[in-house]
Amino acid sequence: MNKILDRTDRITKKAKELGADEAIARTIFGKYRQTRFSNNQIDITVAWNNYVTDIALSWKKRLVTTQIQNFQNVDKQLKEIIDIAKVSKENPMFHGFAKNKFLYPKQNKKKRIIEIETPSEFILEAIDYAEKEAGSDINCGGTLFSKNEQVFLSSTEGPLGIDFRTAVELSIRVFSQREASGHSTECSSTLKNFNPARAGSEAGELASLARNPKPGKEGSYDVILGPLFSGSMLSMWTAMASAFNIMVRLSIFVDRIGEKVSSDIVTLKDNPAPYSVSNRIFDDEGVPIKETKIIEKGIMKTYLHNSSTAKLFKTETTGNAGIVVPQAWNIEMDSGRTNKEEMINEMKKVLYLTNTWYTRFQNHEKGDFSTIPRDAIFLIENGEIKQSLKDIRLSDNASRMLKNIKGVSKERRHVHWWEEADPPSLAPYLLIENVKITKSK
Amino acid sequence: MRKDLIDYSLKYAESKGVEYAEIRGLEERIEQLLLKNGELETYYSSSDSGFCVRVLVNGGLGFASTNKWTKKEAKTIVDLAHRTARAAERKKDIEFADEKTVVTTWKVEQKKKIEDVDYEEKINEVLNIDMELAACGVNIKARMLSCAASIEEKYFINTERSMITSSVPTISVFGFITVSNGGRNEQGYRQFGYSGGWEAFDKWKASDKLIHDARTLKKIITNAKAIKPGKKDLICGPEVTGIAAHESCGHPMEADRILGREMSQAGRSFIYEGGQFWIGETIGSDIVTIVDDPKIVNSYGYYEYDDEGIEAKRRYLYKNGRINEFLHNRETAAKLDTRSNAASRTTNYDREAIVRMANTFVLPGDMTNEEMIEDVRDGIYMVSFTEWNIDDKRFNQRYVGKEAYLIEKGELKNPISRPVIETTTIKFWSAVDAISKRLEFEAATCGKGDPMQGIPVFTGGPALRLRDVYMK
Repeated sequence: MNKILDRTDRITKKAKELGADEAIARTIFGKYRQTRFSNNQIDITVAWNNYVTDIALSWKKRLVTTQIQNFQNVDKQLKEIIDIAKVSKENPMFHGFAKNKFLYPKQNKKKRIIEIETPSEFILEAIDYAEKEAGSDINCGGTLFSKNEQVFLSSTEGPLGIDFRTAVELSIRVFSQREASGHSTECSSTLKNFNPARAGSEAGELASLARNPKPGKEGSYDVILGPLFSGSMLSMWTAMASAFNIMVRLSIFVDRIGEKVSSDIVTLKDNPAPYSVSNRIFDDEGVPIKETKIIEKGIMKTYLHNSSTAKLFKTETTGNAGIVVPQAWNIEMDSGRTNKEEMINEMKKVLYLTNTWYTRFQNHEKGDFSTIPRDAIFLIENGEIKQSLKDIRLSDNASRMLKNIKGVSKERRHVHWWEEADPPSLAPYLLIENVKITKSK
Repeated sequence: MRKDLIDYSLKYAESKGVEYAEIRGLEERIEQLLLKNGELETYYSSSDSGFCVRVLVNGGLGFASTNKWTKKEAKTIVDLAHRTARAAERKKDIEFADEKTVVTTWKVEQKKKIEDVDYEEKINEVLNIDMELAACGVNIKARMLSCAASIEEKYFINTERSMITSSVPTISVFGFITVSNGGRNEQGYRQFGYSGGWEAFDKWKASDKLIHDARTLKKIITNAKAIKPGKKDLICGPEVTGIAAHESCGHPMEADRILGREMSQAGRSFIYEGGQFWIGETIGSDIVTIVDDPKIVNSYGYYEYDDEGIEAKRRYLYKNGRINEFLHNRETAAKLDTRSNAASRTTNYDREAIVRMANTFVLPGDMTNEEMIEDVRDGIYMVSFTEWNIDDKRFNQRYVGKEAYLIEKGELKNPISRPVIETTTIKFWSAVDAISKRLEFEAATCGKGDPMQGIPVFTGGPALRLRDVYMK
């Protein structure tokens, strides 16, 4: 057995010896690198190395968790959390960790490892391509991020495995004027498929088209959401599919399994496939990940589960543990029949929104919320950009917007950006009817 | 904490040739517990420790961290930070503003030490809040309560011979509830935060406040009416004042944002050199002064020295209605030819310190709430808020009322349903014509940085009266 996996396995066995009923240990050796840039120059490169083992254990349906960093004191730390379990309260909703010995796909670690020796080359390439679209008088900022994680998981209930998780991401925001900008990201699990020039070009093109924006007007609009914006909305909808969020009513999907929750053209999945920057082969309980249809042709099919929430909802785990909170790993919306150009050309009047941030709710169960479109915003009439806009807010309802999706593009982009489009997604362009736009008065 | 390794790292960094280097070690004891609908989901107990190096080499910055306390790893991270700093190849060198050397030790005292409270008592403290909430007579369909307690020990040294040791305990509680009545529901949340010991629970009266929230939400469901949109007077309670001060004063006054360093995440600022708004320009009514003060005793954003070793002090951001002083770290201060005012903060050893707020609030005036209300013919009293947001230049903002009442002819009337103010920073602060004398604070977690660094802050202020603003 691999040395680190063996050490991880010994931790769970020791936990059992000390009295735990069940235990999971997950060791992560992570190397993360991020180069930040603004005003067309590198500000700093931040590198962090983490060596940790996360442990969850149960004792008579009491669930306790810890993280080990100092491997000299493993026994002491295990004893301490078992002592906590003994004075803790029974959690009737805890039904044990996943039970089975699973087979996982083999991975070639060497093929995937990402080492960026000269981050400035990628960044300057993206800036160069932005300049080709928007001219040399632009101001660019963003991040170049890489992740190499080795994950070793052992559970007393059977799962035992090693995962290599890699990612490389570029985020670039280009300002062609003080209030005219475009934003794009490039995300991949391998360097081979990583193309900073594409993100630079797109951000530059949007920034160029966004010049001389005027304040938008309030009203009800049909809107086209670009992949960064739709990625943010997919994150919002999918977070609401976590069984935990259903139970605390942070969701529009409470008691909606089997019901129609969106327009027929919407099929929404979780699938942390090899291409994704959130790629993985098992979840935090060691259950093999899979493609999970959350919404299929408008019908709510399942919530996202770990083993305990699945028992409560009388179903099977979806491979989305989170020991406490099940979560989506990589969201995919099935591609549609139209494309971005057709969406634009077929609409007499439409707002094209390319990015958003600061999404906040009045009431998650009702779904009333607002979010602030940023970067390029276009009023398009008869297929032509009529005006670049600014200073608007999308103030609508999460449930209503799902039902009002009238177009999903064939083309999809793998996007991940900061806290907004997170978790990552394979996001299409979306056409949504009758969306309420407000503004400051 | 292995201070010897931190000292070694600095010596090693100096031996490689640097313009500046600092090493920050951190050890944190953390306990968290989560209750969902009355059941204890999990108890998390752990210790986190590690150290980082930040170096300035050839005008470029490099940062690296590790949680492995070995000499070999110390060398690795210093080499890494040094190499990446050199590789920056900037057109314009980064410089740090000159600051004095500080050698000191500081700590936040605990009246009731977190480490002396046993696990069972900690669990029961939070369970009791939950039980009181569940028994308050309001139909609460969902409850989520979390509690986090930590003790953070830091050791900071730099090439200017500063050496600062600190210890800060903090406690926070977050509650989220869904109240239902007659098939309708309303939701609300509340956060409590404190620098100090377990005595926080005696001060917060958390169950009273959460029960008040539950009853308010029920009242909104049963009695609240929508308003007719139009221009009205608005009285903002301290909670609303606080969020407005944080979002439309604190954030746009962060110098890193003003200089563009956060442009691809948290954004820029409507304040910028050569623009309409700069230091000395009018931003609002001359009775408005907004400060940021890290040294409010037991505040959630308390610190005595920032993460660059600069002594904390009160910053006057907007003063008498004018833009007065930005929030600075050493890098932004050098760019704008001034001194740092100790706004450099970070959440952990593996994160770069960036410009942050601490406790941002409006200075109180001389009126009572009653005096402010009695002079309003047609208005709204927005006690608290639900949804809020602001654009990334920090100019267009929106606050949706949670607890709110109609004011008619100087009297508080019925509750109203989700009144909205959607306005600009200038319009908001220019409309203020009266400020109450009672200062109150709320705890919040401010988001900024990539990766996100949620940092503890207070928002706050007295009640404000805004004249003739558009409400819907």
